[in-house]
Amino acid sequence: MSIVAKETIEVIAQSIGINNLSDDAALSLAPDVEYRMREIMQEAIKCMRHSRRTILTTDDVDGALNLRNVEPVYGFTSGGPLQFKRAIGHRGLFYIDDRDVDLKEVIEAPLPKAPLDTGVACHWLAIEGVQPAIPENAPVGVIAAPSNGNTYEQKDELPVDIKLPVKHVLSRELQLYFDKISELTLRKSDSALFKEALVSLATDSGLHPLVPYFTFFVADEVSRGLNDYSLLFALMRVVWSLLQNPHIHIEPYLHQLMPSVVTCLVSKKLGNRIADNHWELRDFTAKLVALICKRFGHVYNTLQTRLTKTLLNALLDPKRALTQHYGAIQGLAALGPNVVRLLILPNLEPYLRLLEPELLLEKQKNEMKRYEAWRVYGALLRAAGQGIYERLKIFPPLPSPPGHTIWKSKEKVVTAVPNKRKASMEPLEDEPALKKIATDGPIGSSASVTTLASSGENDAGQPSSSEKKTGNRVGKDGQKLKKSAILNQIWKDDLNSGHTLVTLLELLGEGILSFIPSPEMSLFL
Amino acid sequence: MENMQAVNSFVAAYLKKKGFKEAEQLLEDLHSKDSAAPIDFHNDPDLAKFIHHFSQSEDEVARYQDGYSKLRSWTYSSLDLYKHELLRVLYPVFIHSFMDLVAKGHLQEARTFFNAFHEDHQLMHSRDLQKLEGVLSQSHLEEMEFARSLRQNKVNVKICQYSYDLLLQYLHKTQSSAMLGVINEHINFQATSGQPGSISDDIEVVTLIGSCQDAANQINQKEIHWGLLEDSLEERSEKEGGLLSDSEKTEGENKEGDAEESKKRSAEGGKQGSSTKKLKKDKAVNATAKSTRLEAKTTSSAPRVKPELTLPIMSTEVEQSILEDLRNRVQLSSIALPSVSFYTFLDTHNGLNCSSISHDGSLVAGGFSDSSLKVWDTAKLGQQTGGATLQGENDSTSSEHVVRPNGVKRSYTLFQGHSGPVYSATFSPLGDFILSSSADTTIRLWSTKLNANLVCYKGHNYPVWDVQFSPVGHYFASASHDRTARIWAMDRIQPLRVMAGHLSDVDCVQWHANCNYIATGSSDRTVRLWDVQSGECVRIFIGHRSMILSLAMSPDGRYMASGDEDGTIMTWDLSSGRCVTPLMGHTSCVWTLAFSCEGTLLASGSADCTVKLWDVTTSTKAPRNEEKSGNPNRLRSLKTLPTKSTPVYSLQFSRRNLLFAAGVLSKKV
Repeated sequence: MSIVAKETIEVIAQSIGINNLSDDAALSLAPDVEYRMREIMQEAIKCMRHSRRTILTTDDVDGALNLRNVEPVYGFTSGGPLQFKRAIGHRGLFYIDDRDVDLKEVIEAPLPKAPLDTGVACHWLAIEGVQPAIPENAPVGVIAAPSNGNTYEQKDELPVDIKLPVKHVLSRELQLYFDKISELTLRKSDSALFKEALVSLATDSGLHPLVPYFTFFVADEVSRGLNDYSLLFALMRVVWSLLQNPHIHIEPYLHQLMPSVVTCLVSKKLGNRIADNHWELRDFTAKLVALICKRFGHVYNTLQTRLTKTLLNALLDPKRALTQHYGAIQGLAALGPNVVRLLILPNLEPYLRLLEPELLLEKQKNEMKRYEAWRVYGALLRAAGQGIYERLKIFPPLPSPPGHTIWKSKEKVVTAVPNKRKASMEPLEDEPALKKIATDGPIGSSASVTTLASSGENDAGQPSSSEKKTGNRVGKDGQKLKKSAILNQIWKDDLNSGHTLVTLLELLGEGILSFIPSPEMSLFL
Repeated sequence: MENMQAVNSFVAAYLKKKGFKEAEQLLEDLHSKDSAAPIDFHNDPDLAKFIHHFSQSEDEVARYQDGYSKLRSWTYSSLDLYKHELLRVLYPVFIHSFMDLVAKGHLQEARTFFNAFHEDHQLMHSRDLQKLEGVLSQSHLEEMEFARSLRQNKVNVKICQYSYDLLLQYLHKTQSSAMLGVINEHINFQATSGQPGSISDDIEVVTLIGSCQDAANQINQKEIHWGLLEDSLEERSEKEGGLLSDSEKTEGENKEGDAEESKKRSAEGGKQGSSTKKLKKDKAVNATAKSTRLEAKTTSSAPRVKPELTLPIMSTEVEQSILEDLRNRVQLSSIALPSVSFYTFLDTHNGLNCSSISHDGSLVAGGFSDSSLKVWDTAKLGQQTGGATLQGENDSTSSEHVVRPNGVKRSYTLFQGHSGPVYSATFSPLGDFILSSSADTTIRLWSTKLNANLVCYKGHNYPVWDVQFSPVGHYFASASHDRTARIWAMDRIQPLRVMAGHLSDVDCVQWHANCNYIATGSSDRTVRLWDVQSGECVRIFIGHRSMILSLAMSPDGRYMASGDEDGTIMTWDLSSGRCVTPLMGHTSCVWTLAFSCEGTLLASGSADCTVKLWDVTTSTKAPRNEEKSGNPNRLRSLKTLPTKSTPVYSLQFSRRNLLFAAGVLSKKV
């Protein structure tokens, strides 16, 4: 008859040591127990209301027991509402998940952080009846512009504290502009119109309100379109243009932009066709990264360190694909000679050892893989070469004629490049893929030359290639000896830089002797 | 007549018992002809009991069950026009049948009866039913206040004559003596001639209060003086506004407009009830002279009353600063909504029980369940927005706030002294004192200047739910679980008055603008108005369907607003004791209510994480007939300001009509 069953009473009685409770007593106790329970709950609800809560807690029940002069039930105190679990198979039966706690664990666990002290924050809920669109206020449910559904979705997923201009601030014209640009980027990135659009992005003032949308657009599309090479390239061009625009204040959005950019640099796979020249995209992105670091490095002093860390991690992880290594090297190289010197050169030796088997015909049968390896090798060479070139260029104690010679020799190299390229192209004409790379690969002069030369040699499969190389090396070894002699002299003059150079040389001597045809050498010679 | 009826019914019962069906039928026919006037054979309790006794002797358990189910199906199948009136009868019959069964010891049957039929009434009376459900023995009936008062008193049911006749005919036809007995014993019919009332009238009927409605009506006949205090600062500032020279014309005009409007409004009220008001002649003359100068239409001024308490004296500087505030007050109306500054409590770990904001918004207090009271100086919140914008609000009063030597690193001042959860805190009008009430049955007075506890007031025997400073300071009122409200003065450690009468906890208390009355809201779902001087209850406001959580008095002293657990807000006319209009909109507990300083807007803060602004002028000025037509609610709710998952604990209009709100950021589970 009452909710509390007779059996319940009996069980409770036994639990407190009354074994011979008669049925009658249990029967007549049951309704009273129910009544008392209800009474307690009624008082507990009052306590809850006066604590300005809508969820009953154990504290309220304790408060109610206090009101009735009953000893509170100890051991159930909790900071918040209890988490009940539903018993499987029984509707309406709940229990508190009360797990066994190992005392040892509790004792040995580090002290939890002290809870934050209560504080008060102040904001305007409304100004003359209108709610300002600030993060402290609940989002205003305004009419969403129908156009950019993408960005809106994106916005919802992000943590709420991002300070974005509220959507309805966007004017109709800007919305149209955004639609047009995103349309062009997505569909017609090779049209002339897109180029115009890029120019517009790079120069128009008044685009600032769109920056967050473009940021989201880029991030969104990059994460979705990793297989679409032309789209990625177009997106990077958009970023480039945005960075060029002097009227845009892009800083606050960099942190959203950087992941997508870095993705385009060191992703394992960019584009799904072999014909996609992802090397070019990586090179372009590397420049982009360098530009960003140059422009905002002083504002975000952690920007560059974080970036280099990411790149270096990619480089030093042997499990990563070679394409990723290539991207990382290009990215680091683009960040300037100092980065190269500090980060690439110390790791050069172990890395080359790793790369060696991939490069050799005998060990790596997969042509594609080998090709990739040579690309990486070329990038490394270029990076190291640039590093040392810059290093040497800034050396003070150069005699007066060098200035002239540098130019001369540089010219020589430059002129030599096309020749060599042509030369290397001739035997390769039957391989369209490689040819394409050779023609439009704007990789740094020396690197491209060596890469192409060596790859050409390899591809041709001529047995003489290795001979040639070794011959080269021998010759260069001789040069190196002289160079080190000179450098030792310089080292006496300038202790610090000289020391660096010596270490550099030591490293270089290990494997990258093919690098030698840099103008400085001729100078020193 | 009465004798005749008594005899009649006696005979009827006798005949019934003996089984003389025909004779009984005859008698009843005769009887029903007589029943044009309300039957009042229930006026004789002895007789009713006697009749009752007959029915008891038979197997009445089945009779109750049977009778009720028949009555129910009859009611549901009755004419649409009268159905809702008859349905009203059903509920009292139901609960009394249930209690009768319990009282006679048929516990099992009572429970089955309850379970069978309680769903019909769940919608309207869920809280009552919850209470009654637990009644399982005679002793519970005795013990439980609610059940006892129900059984001791009769329920008034107002139904039209025809419905009444219908009901009687039915009862006589079916001869369900059990139902007849219940109805006779516990229901007091007020048959009215004419059309059946509309459903909207229900509001008075649905609440079964302990005391007889008549008593409440009687109490509500008492005269009250809701006028403002004479010689108050507002009045003075009005005069000042009148005397203002051209230099301050714009400001002055604003003020005059304001004064004028409030006067108009109160004049309307004055016409109804001001004949009895104590109007001080010279004041009236003064005011009329002024108002004629302002506008010929305004003939009488707001009724002014004398204070019944000796009021504390204000220093002139303070007076000046208040006057300054009054002059700079922003005029609010349905088209000029206030600015709301929101104080969000962070990291309270579910411990904040209440919050309070000083009148100038410069101090925010929070009462915690760990017995502490914490006070923040909002000028030191360190937030550019808050600090800068509040400066304007603060500058007039900053002289009062001595820069305290804040050696501690905490951003707040910690007041410790209570030994139980702090349930309420209130600032004195000048912000130099705080009162806090706690579950440890005490009220403590703290000084914000000395940062120390000054007095501990002991008097209540149970947790003190609410404490409120009077508008003039010095006096304060408290409400407690011990079912009393008490009036205190700061310099006495014993209460000056004890207001007893509520049937359940007194949950909230609020002072009338003229300090002569206090209003209390209770878990018995009534609001009462008490005379501070005599300690008598002068009004009972019935209509809420759940516990009352918040009260607010309009600054002109004429209206009161009360908010309950369900989210309903009701506005009441103090002079008539009637509900002006219910304001529906909130979906959860209304924790706090506040009138704007000129009384045009009502702000409400609720557990549903919104602040709502209501237009008081349209809701009170509109003739009552209009309530039935169209959509009055839409007109009245001016604006809903949602917060970010922050239930609103307190609201406070500053003297310049800036609205301050406070709440706790709560994570959604």
